Amino acid sequence: MTVDDASLARLAALAQQGDRQAYAALLAACRSWLLRYLRRRVSPEALDDLVQETLLSVHRKLATYDPARPVIPWLAAIARYRFVDHLRVTYRAAGEVELDDEAVSGEDEEEAVTARLSLDRLFEALPEAQSRAIALVRIEGLSIAEASASTGQSESLVKVNIHRGLKRLAALIESA
Amino acid sequence: MPDDPFDTFMAELVADLKPVTPLRQGRGMALALAALALGAALLVAVLGLRRDFAAGHPEPMVTTAAGVFLVLAVASAWAAVDMARPGVGLRREGWGWTALMAAVLPGSALGLAGVELWHDRPVTIDPGGVLCLGLGLGTGLITLAALVLWLRRGAPSSLRRAGMLAGVAAGAAGAFAVSLWCPHDNLMHIGVWHGATVVVMGLAGRWLLPRWIIW
Repeated sequence: MTVDDASLARLAALAQQGDRQAYAALLAACRSWLLRYLRRRVSPEALDDLVQETLLSVHRKLATYDPARPVIPWLAAIARYRFVDHLRVTYRAAGEVELDDEAVSGEDEEEAVTARLSLDRLFEALPEAQSRAIALVRIEGLSIAEASASTGQSESLVKVNIHRGLKRLAALIESA
Repeated sequence: MPDDPFDTFMAELVADLKPVTPLRQGRGMALALAALALGAALLVAVLGLRRDFAAGHPEPMVTTAAGVFLVLAVASAWAAVDMARPGVGLRREGWGWTALMAAVLPGSALGLAGVELWHDRPVTIDPGGVLCLGLGLGTGLITLAALVLWLRRGAPSSLRRAGMLAGVAAGAAGAFAVSLWCPHDNLMHIGVWHGATVVVMGLAGRWLLPRWIIW
């Protein structure tokens, strides 16, 4: 399901007024967008849970949507916040996973917006060592020892890089 | 009822929908400014207004410092209130310039102290300023409470930054309120003790508030 941002903004404004039909359409569009947005950086096993958590946050924080602003940056900020939180608590939960390498790219406007807001942009703002440590341990599910062997960083350094990287990701949610 | 668990989950969210009032920047600011005014009014009501202010001949140095703290409180509160509404790509950097401007006060005080020490002259930092610090922190708590209340309703994506901004706003509000009463006129006292109110509250906000505003 693809809905342009103007339509999403109308749906969100109606949902804030209690319109359930509009809200159902908004959630369906958000779900579809979130699945595409998160799939490259989240293991398939964890994807549905993370999308559900994000939608729950959307539900609880619906009042924080500003009808004067577009919906997607608001949704992306909530998704990034939940994603960083997910990285903090996830540790080898999913085991080894195959990530979908299909880039979130395309030529229409929505795809361009998605690319600008993408999680890759968030990771690009991190130093390579931190980004790699987080990707290996918190996303791909490697142990600290395995990540250490893979990157050539000591185990302590892998831990430090994950810790610092997560702090930095949390600070970059709106800006990167 | 749908069979797919995800569809069931979405149906439950839809069934649970209640009308909500969007968080408005104006309402958040009104809350923060009301708290700032309440703190200042309480402090003046209990301790009184500076004599020069009461006489209508405000001392320029104190007036300027009070104005700087007030502007810093408003700018930081604006940024903190805005953080309740998340959005990738939003710029909230204006408060930083105001903080830099406010840093001129303690910066100048420390610079003057450095010059005095360089010339082997004694530097006196009024220990009674601890009272100003305490009063500023206490008064600022009212503004802090208002901002925490607002942020808990919202969804700040960077908890530490939101906490720090709320703390800086509260500290500056407290420093402004104290300026209305404090009998001292000298830069060293204002820069060190009133400035410390902002620094202490900002650091406390950064480290202590995230657990209150997490969502």
